[in-house]
Amino acid sequence: MTVFILRRVLQAILVLAITSLVVFLGVYAIGDPLEILLPADASMAERAQVTASLHLDDPLALQYWNFIVQALQGNFGRSFVFNRPALEVIFERLPATLELVTTSLILSLIIGIPLGFLAGTRPRTVTDETIMTGSILGFSLPNFWQGMMLIMIFSVWLGWLPSTGRGDTGTILGVRTSYATWDGFVHLLLPATNLALAQIALVIRLTRTGVQETMPLDFVKYARARGISERRILSVHVFKTILIPIVTVLGIEFGSLIAFAVVTETIFAWPGVGKLIIDSINMLDRPIVVAYILVIVSMFIVINLVVDVLYSLLDPRIRSRAS
Amino acid sequence: MKLAKTAVLAALLSSTWLMPAMAQDLTIGRASEQSSIDPQFSRTGNNQMTSAMFFDRLVDFGPNLEMTPGLAESWEVENPTTWVLHLRDGVTFHDGSAFTADDVIFSLERADEVPNSPAPYTDMVSAVASMEKVDDLTLKITTNAPAPTLMQDIGRVFIISNAASDGKASEDFNSPATAVGTGPYILEEWKPGETLTMKANDAYWADVPEFKDVEIRYISNDAARVAALLSGAVDVIDAVPPQDVPRVDGTDGLHVFSAASGRVIYFGLSMRFDQAPGVTDLDGNPLSENPFKDVRVRKAVSLMIDRKLIVDRILGGSGVPAGQLAGEALGGHNPDVKPDEVDVAKAKELLTEAGYPNGFGITVYSSNDRFPGDGDLAQALGQMLARGGLKVNGVEALPYSVYSKAASAGDYGAFVFSLGASTPNSAPLLQALLHTYDKDRGMGAFNRVRFSDPAYDAALEEALQEFDPEVLDAKLQDLTTMVFAEQPIVPLYWQKVHWGLKDGLNINEGLSEQTLPQNVSSAE
Repeated sequence: MTVFILRRVLQAILVLAITSLVVFLGVYAIGDPLEILLPADASMAERAQVTASLHLDDPLALQYWNFIVQALQGNFGRSFVFNRPALEVIFERLPATLELVTTSLILSLIIGIPLGFLAGTRPRTVTDETIMTGSILGFSLPNFWQGMMLIMIFSVWLGWLPSTGRGDTGTILGVRTSYATWDGFVHLLLPATNLALAQIALVIRLTRTGVQETMPLDFVKYARARGISERRILSVHVFKTILIPIVTVLGIEFGSLIAFAVVTETIFAWPGVGKLIIDSINMLDRPIVVAYILVIVSMFIVINLVVDVLYSLLDPRIRSRAS
Repeated sequence: MKLAKTAVLAALLSSTWLMPAMAQDLTIGRASEQSSIDPQFSRTGNNQMTSAMFFDRLVDFGPNLEMTPGLAESWEVENPTTWVLHLRDGVTFHDGSAFTADDVIFSLERADEVPNSPAPYTDMVSAVASMEKVDDLTLKITTNAPAPTLMQDIGRVFIISNAASDGKASEDFNSPATAVGTGPYILEEWKPGETLTMKANDAYWADVPEFKDVEIRYISNDAARVAALLSGAVDVIDAVPPQDVPRVDGTDGLHVFSAASGRVIYFGLSMRFDQAPGVTDLDGNPLSENPFKDVRVRKAVSLMIDRKLIVDRILGGSGVPAGQLAGEALGGHNPDVKPDEVDVAKAKELLTEAGYPNGFGITVYSSNDRFPGDGDLAQALGQMLARGGLKVNGVEALPYSVYSKAASAGDYGAFVFSLGASTPNSAPLLQALLHTYDKDRGMGAFNRVRFSDPAYDAALEEALQEFDPEVLDAKLQDLTTMVFAEQPIVPLYWQKVHWGLKDGLNINEGLSEQTLPQNVSSAE
């Protein structure tokens, strides 16, 4: 296990180094931040002053070298736009996104798994057909459109739920969260639902397929023969077996939801990192973009590692192979 | 059916009243967010808008950028390089301390020294050679050279408290302890990406704002901002997209306020190189000469464009056809310089005279996310040029972050761009856009088409020395007539901007395109 983790860490460092170079070159090639940052009536003198203070006139190789040297010391540069350390700006927004993504993943599990079991144990019945048709809708309706519809129905027409921002937040164990207040909680509902709809559909499909594949297997028959109740067979034995694909997929989804919850965050004016990265790309705020992508890449690496470890906990076969 | 509709409507109306009562007196949904509360960190429009809530300036700029005395009550020009400023008596900062000449000196000295500022106020104070405090409320300023626009320039710098801000960095201003101004509102909290809350300054030296507790929410997505207003979550929104104006205005309990902005959208025809990028002969080979160097060709292009159609169809009426740079409300606007009416026959004639009886090939370039309808505008221009007798090879619309760099580098022969006004008259527009490009002297910074007319340059430079604002405006009018006879660029239209408000609220804004809580009032 230790060797396995060590090898993973070395791989991760290589991946990070390559990503930083690619992203740096890419961001550099897009455009000139001066054109965006400077006001329309800026004079040549101001232009020169900004160029010098942001080191935009250094050769690309030198800029990259400076970046690497500083990054190794934990300094990812200062945002051009906010004039604050890039990591600080990112980590300030990250909790809001984490909260949103975690909520929607929990929603997708507590709604998706029971519905998937229901469909899987009653194949080709009305229940099954209804659930599966519903899941197709969840999959195929564009996220953006769903969001607008949720706002139209629940905020504009019914007036039940707020549609923008995070509302009042409180602190629980030192973390600022929407769960601490009722107002914050209701603000969370619409965006979390919007983000969860596609995930719910995904979990339903994975669960249903898993259940259908597992039910005819020998160990289920054996369990039945031993007289174990159907309920226990489903909730313990079958459940544990089908969790592996679900954990894999949700692990990947968790990463991409954090990195790309952009659409939901934009529609619901949720102050998370997704919105930050889009704004930063539009403003050509290079330090934020580079630091953000490196943070996200590191996060994916960690998630994959966690998923691998979870596998071995869930499946004894993988554990024995590893040792 | 009708009954059912009425019932649904009634249910909808009653349900909006069930929304939780708002703690704030006024909630504003705003499209853009400032990058810092430090009023001297950046002078982009977003930042100036936020600064104007908490800080004052030596002069006030009204909704149409008109200048009135602010923290400086009056001023006189002792000789062309010496100014005496009389500061307003009895003004206090949010922390209760008195406003004095020291604060002005501190603020003006700091203005060009804010570290890492992406848009510094350097130019605003570059004319100042030295400042001398005569007494607590009198200040003598010496300039490097005669500077007729001194008050307009230093008047744009926000005044901060010497005592509260000395030695503080820009990020310290995010806390109310450092963001101490004399403005109509006092900062409470800024949650980046989320909200900005403030309370009224009851000791404000001018009119105390009507709404005491104000919350600004940052909602950058157009549809979401409109939905927030429709759902009653906010009372006012800015930047209502043109296509949603009828919807908002048609909703019971809401109305739209529109104003012409100072931003002119224009079509640039590059005279920069001997060949214009994207301009070809009829077979698609690059043209050996640059047709845009001929004024007849530029005029012909202008005559092909139906500005009224663009404004009506693409913008849904959210624009005013333009034939010059400065809109009607700005000083230096010349009512005699009218936008060209579409005249294809005349355009053809001019093209023939210029030696292109069958036209030439052209590619139209534009941004697609800079202002409402910019991508569609490029399409329409392409069609109009084709109708006018040119061969349109293509229309390319790109994100602004990519587009702006290439446009400044001269990669486009024919391109759509915009220029906003931030001063009470057209002088900076005429200088930055149409003066010969001269990097060393800092002239013509935005002259991307590289138009150059020495006679115009000389006349403009002479006008910029004028101290009397009325004489200056007259000179700017003459300059406008002079330069647009040569069609240096093709002005298209001035944008109109829209605010959506709940009935019972009014907003007093205009050219400046700001959304300030102090300018919102209950209807009489």
